[in-house]
Amino acid sequence: MLNRDTLGALIFLAFFTAYAVFAWQIPLLPFEEMDAVNSASIPKVYAVLGLMFSLLALLAQAIKRQHSSGDGWPQINRKSIGQTAVLLLLMWVYTALLEPIGFLLATSVFLSAGFFIMGERRWRVLLLASVPVAVVFWLIVTKLLGIYLVPGELWS
Amino acid sequence: MLDGILLGLSTALQWQNLLYVIAGCFVGTFIGMLPGLGPITAIALMIPITYSIDPSSGMILMAGVYYGAIFGGSTSSILINAPGVAGTVASSFDGYPLAKQGMAGKALAIAAWASFTGGTIGALLLMLAAPTLAKVSLSFQSADYVALMCLGLTAIAAFSNKGTFLKAMMMTVFGLTLSTVGIDPSSGTERFTFGNTDLLDGISFLLIAMSTFALAEALSNVLKPEVKQSAGEQPMQIGSIRLSKAEVKEISPTIGRSSLLGFIIGVLPGAGATIASFMAYAAERNLAPKALQEKFGKGSLRGLAAPESANNAACTGSFVPLLTLGIPGSGTTAIMLGALIAYGIQPGPMLMQDNPDVFWAVIISMYLGNIVLLILNLPLIPYLARVLIMPKAILTMMILFFSLIGVYLVSFNTFDLFMMIGFALVALVLRLLAFPMAPLLLGFILGDMIESNFRRAMMTSDGSLSIFWDKPLTLGIMLLAIVVLAMPLLSFLRLRKAAI
Repeated sequence: MLNRDTLGALIFLAFFTAYAVFAWQIPLLPFEEMDAVNSASIPKVYAVLGLMFSLLALLAQAIKRQHSSGDGWPQINRKSIGQTAVLLLLMWVYTALLEPIGFLLATSVFLSAGFFIMGERRWRVLLLASVPVAVVFWLIVTKLLGIYLVPGELWS
Repeated sequence: MLDGILLGLSTALQWQNLLYVIAGCFVGTFIGMLPGLGPITAIALMIPITYSIDPSSGMILMAGVYYGAIFGGSTSSILINAPGVAGTVASSFDGYPLAKQGMAGKALAIAAWASFTGGTIGALLLMLAAPTLAKVSLSFQSADYVALMCLGLTAIAAFSNKGTFLKAMMMTVFGLTLSTVGIDPSSGTERFTFGNTDLLDGISFLLIAMSTFALAEALSNVLKPEVKQSAGEQPMQIGSIRLSKAEVKEISPTIGRSSLLGFIIGVLPGAGATIASFMAYAAERNLAPKALQEKFGKGSLRGLAAPESANNAACTGSFVPLLTLGIPGSGTTAIMLGALIAYGIQPGPMLMQDNPDVFWAVIISMYLGNIVLLILNLPLIPYLARVLIMPKAILTMMILFFSLIGVYLVSFNTFDLFMMIGFALVALVLRLLAFPMAPLLLGFILGDMIESNFRRAMMTSDGSLSIFWDKPLTLGIMLLAIVVLAMPLLSFLRLRKAAI
């Protein structure tokens, strides 16, 4: 099985390879073509450096493996993975709904759903720790700081 | 210099700026206490607020948050053996045993006094060193800056945790690559935008800072809860915060020595508070008489005072390269550099001439921050420590909410939020794979500066790379960067040879 360091190096090797491909495709403007340094020069240098370091990391892992089995993975339980994944999804949904349904409703739902995902089951806490926060924050931002926040495209 | 100090005082002592430094210290202490959250997260969360105020006030607020977060980290190290930041890990070695012996108040008082003295000595040295170095650095040219930035980037990787040098370098280059997204400012060419107009302006540094630190740290705490104590458990009783004369006498020389050591280490790019605190701890243990040496790790007053004074002095020291050369030596100063650039202020040798109010206000506010921590935060610790019993669900959701809405209030573009969630996921995976985050931020922030200075240097040399070794100063810095880069590689090869 891959250890953490090898997997990390492989991920970066893939990323820097893709970056290099795009770096060599940066379209140059006519006046740039004769320049010693153009828009693509620095990205190309970064691509080469990235590839060099990720290959070195893989090489270091290969040398290390001859002598040890490498480091292990952190212990993470399934519940934590599930919670984190759902929180990421919740943030995505919040972002998608922020402008259509407005700050107040979206934030209240986001916070109470988040508390629920994190294990809070008392409905009073769910409500009291979400709606007032959204309202107070909205008041501070719109009334005190004078920043416009969308009331919700669906209702306006 | 006296004029500068007076200007700094008149700016920092304005009532609204005093309020900012006090608020910054409180908020910083609050966030710094939360295990897993450090000064970078605390400052990142503050940035959207600082955009609406003037640069001097914004920097004063952030300096307060920085000091508060370091002090908050010490508090959680001492009270629950859960350092909020790496720089306060060494404080837990003796701070926590002291707290377990019923002397939590005393330990916190030592931490506060040591931090205050370390910060004060650091601020005084900064006042002396920064203007001198700023004058010297006026003679620096583009090639020197490129060399210095290369040194900064390699140093932060070289000083990263043992065995993570290549990881830190990969993260640095990753940060550099992210800085190339958007329209090239020199030619107007689109790079890595893939036809998306939202990417034309590049990726905002606030987005990167928030996603890789605030969001990723909060999610990481959900995924991998490292601290057993959280909701429902009461932190231990604080007790008296008074120190006896004998105790003050015992720790005074330690604080003096460690502050000086901390400041010097803090000035070096990449080193920072963590290395300073560990080195000061080790130095004091070696210097202590045999009988006192055995107390180290079991509740030694010197063992607590040394890292506390060193880490605060190092924090101040890390501002020297930022303010005088415009080059951050740590993740925290990198984020401050990003904030200054967002204000339209370019830190560097000209900062003292172009924006003396910002330059001196930052220095003076550091001192004020230390006073605030000592006078206000220390007596309020029993109340502030209640944050440690706040339910994790509420804390996590608040951080997620403030991070997302903080970025939205600056850009008003939901694309940024989607991108932020994506980066948070990437950062979370990289954290699981034990990749350090600070080099990414440093690479991202220095990326633009390296490119523009490199281009300028090449233009002045008519495209010849010899500009990087023609001048002894440039050559010297470049050689130093190469040595720093080669050091971990050589030590790896030596270890392999020994193993064989």
